[in-house]
Amino acid sequence: MRVRVRRHAAWAAGLEDAAAWARWCANPKELERGGKPDVAFLPALLRRRCSPLARIMLHVAFHCCDADELATASTVFASRHGNINESIEMLEQLARGQGLSPTLFSHSVHNAQAGLFSIAAHNRAASSSIAAQDDTFGCAWLEAMTLLSRDPQGRCLLVIGEVPLAPVFADLVDEPEASYGLALLLEVASGDDGIGVSLAGRSEPRRPARWPDSLEFLRFLCSDANRFELASALRRTIWER
Amino acid sequence: MQLPRVRSSCALAGLGMVNALGRHADEIWPRLVAADTTHITARDDLIPDRKLLAGAVAGALPRIPGALRHYDCRNNAMTLAALEPLWDAIRELRSAVGPERVAVVMGTSTSGVHDAEIAIRHRERTGLLGPAFAYDQLEFGGVAGFVAQLLELQGPAYAISTACSSGARALASARSLLELGLCDAVIAGATDTLCGLTANGFSALQVVSSELTNPCSVNRRGLTLGEGSAIFLVTRESQGIQLVGVGESSEAYHMSAPDPDGAGAESSMRGALADAGLEPDRIAYLNLHGTGTAKNDAMECAAIARIFAAPPPCSSTKPLVGHTLGAAGAMEAGFLWLALHHASGGRLPLIPHAFDGALDPELAPVPLVAVGAEAPLGPVMSNSFGFGGNNCSLVLQPQAT
Repeated sequence: MRVRVRRHAAWAAGLEDAAAWARWCANPKELERGGKPDVAFLPALLRRRCSPLARIMLHVAFHCCDADELATASTVFASRHGNINESIEMLEQLARGQGLSPTLFSHSVHNAQAGLFSIAAHNRAASSSIAAQDDTFGCAWLEAMTLLSRDPQGRCLLVIGEVPLAPVFADLVDEPEASYGLALLLEVASGDDGIGVSLAGRSEPRRPARWPDSLEFLRFLCSDANRFELASALRRTIWER
Repeated sequence: MQLPRVRSSCALAGLGMVNALGRHADEIWPRLVAADTTHITARDDLIPDRKLLAGAVAGALPRIPGALRHYDCRNNAMTLAALEPLWDAIRELRSAVGPERVAVVMGTSTSGVHDAEIAIRHRERTGLLGPAFAYDQLEFGGVAGFVAQLLELQGPAYAISTACSSGARALASARSLLELGLCDAVIAGATDTLCGLTANGFSALQVVSSELTNPCSVNRRGLTLGEGSAIFLVTRESQGIQLVGVGESSEAYHMSAPDPDGAGAESSMRGALADAGLEPDRIAYLNLHGTGTAKNDAMECAAIARIFAAPPPCSSTKPLVGHTLGAAGAMEAGFLWLALHHASGGRLPLIPHAFDGALDPELAPVPLVAVGAEAPLGPVMSNSFGFGGNNCSLVLQPQAT
C-alpha cells in the first residue's frame, strides 16, 4: 500500500506558518526548547486541561484538517515521551505523601491528546496512541498504515510531537531537546502515486540525530528527493516516492 | 475509486500469560472456569492509609538477562514470564522468516512506572535516582524495545498506549501489519503493573472499590485493580484460532467517563461483527469490559441489548484477575483463546461471571454465565473500553473443521 500526504502542518516556537517552515526545511536551525502555540479554537475548559504537549499536538492537528476531516479522520498520536513530565510531577507528589489531582491524572495518560482531540473535534473514528523509543516516527507511519488498511476509503491524521524531558530524566536520553509538532493527513494513494515504505534490519549503532526524525521527514516531503531513510537502533525505514 | 481491503488469515498461533490466577495458561484455566476469586489479595502499599484488594502476580519473576539490565523493571519481568512458553516457537519462526520480518506490538499503560516510583522516592531521600534506574524502563516504548532486543528481532517494534484498550489494539495492529505484508509474524500482547500512580489516580477519580469488584450487581462500587501480561504469537497461518473481527471507536465524550448511552461501545461491537462478516446471533460468548463501575456496566449492557436480539452468554473476568488496565484487552482475548482451545465435541466451555448474584434490575438484561455452563462452539467476542474514550472489540473464531 502506498500513502499520499494530503496536507501537513508543523509547529515550533518562531516557526508558525508554511513560509517559515519552508525556510527552515531548506536551512534548518536549532529549535526552541519552549513556546506555546495558539489553541484559541478550543473551548476554555479543554484549553486549560491541555499539557504543553497536548497544546502542540492539538494545534497542528486542527491546522492540518478541514471541518469534515477533523470529524471523520482516524488518528494516530505518537510521542516518545508523551506526558511523562506530568507523570514525574505526580510521582514526586506521591513520594511526598500527597494525593493526586484526578484531572491531572486523567489528562496525563499517553492517549490524553487523542481523547482531547476526539472531544474537541467531535471525532468518533478509530484512534491509536503509540511510542517506540528512537523509532517513534517510523512506527507511527506504520501504525497509520494499519488504520488506513482497515478503512481504505478514509483518511488518517498522524500527529507527532515532543517537549523536552524534565531535568531529572533529560540527561538519560541523547536526542534534540525541543518543543515541536507535526501533523500529516494521510490517505491511500492510487497506483504509483504517493509514498511507499520498506523496512530492513540493521546492526551498527545509531548516530545521534541533529533534527527530530519527524522534521527530517518534513524536509524530505518539502524537497524533490525520491528517497528518505531513517535508522533506529535496530532497523531502518525507507520511504520512496 | 474502490480500494478493496486485502484480507488474509490471522492465526493466534500461541499464547503466554501471567496474572493473579497463575503463572501459565495451564494453571490459570482451571481457576478461571471455577470462578476462583481467592487469588485477589489485600494490599496496603499502593495508596496511603488505605487497604484495597488487588490482583497481583504472586511470587518471584524471572530475571532480566544482564545485557538488558537497563530494561530491568517489574513490567518487563512479567513480560518475560509471559513469553517463556512461546520462546521455542519464536526462535524457530525467527530463523525461518528472518529477524527483520518479525514485528513486536505491545500494549501498556504503565510501562515501568512502578520502578520509576521507587527511583523518585529514592531521589526525594538522597537526591539521586539510584543506580538501578534507566529511562528505558519507564518510557512507553520500552516494553516493545525490550521484547525485540530480548528475542533479537529487527522488525518494527512499538507500544500502544490507549489506556484500557491498549492490549486489544495491539492485536488489531498485529493483524493489519501482517495484511500489509510489513512482516511475517508479530509478537503482540500487553503488560501492565500494579503501581502507586494508577492506584492513586483511579482512587482520586473515585472508581476503585474497597471490596472485590462486583460487575453488574446492584451493589457494585467500582473496580479492583490487577496486573499481568498476555502475549500472542500472531501469524498468517490459516490453521488454529483466528482473529477475525476488529471494531474500534472514539467516544468524543469525556476523558474519564463513558458516554452513558453506550454509543461508542455499540459502534465498537457492531464494527467487530461487520469486520468478521457475522450476524450478532452467531456470537457464542461475550467477555464484558465489565469493570464494576456504575457507569461502565450500565452503558455496556444497554449497548449489548441494542445489538443482540437475544444477547449471548456474558461474563466479566475482572473479579478473578482484577482490571489489568493496559493489559486487559490482550488478557481477555487470551481468555477467549483458552475457552476456544478447551472446546471439544462442538461444546464451548464458558467463563463464569463471579459476583454477589444481586443483579442490578436497572441494567438492560444480559445472560450472565454460571460455573460449569457451556454453549455450542462458535465465534466469541471481547470488549475493551479505555479511558480517554478509546474503544476496541475483538472477535475470535475457532479453527475451521
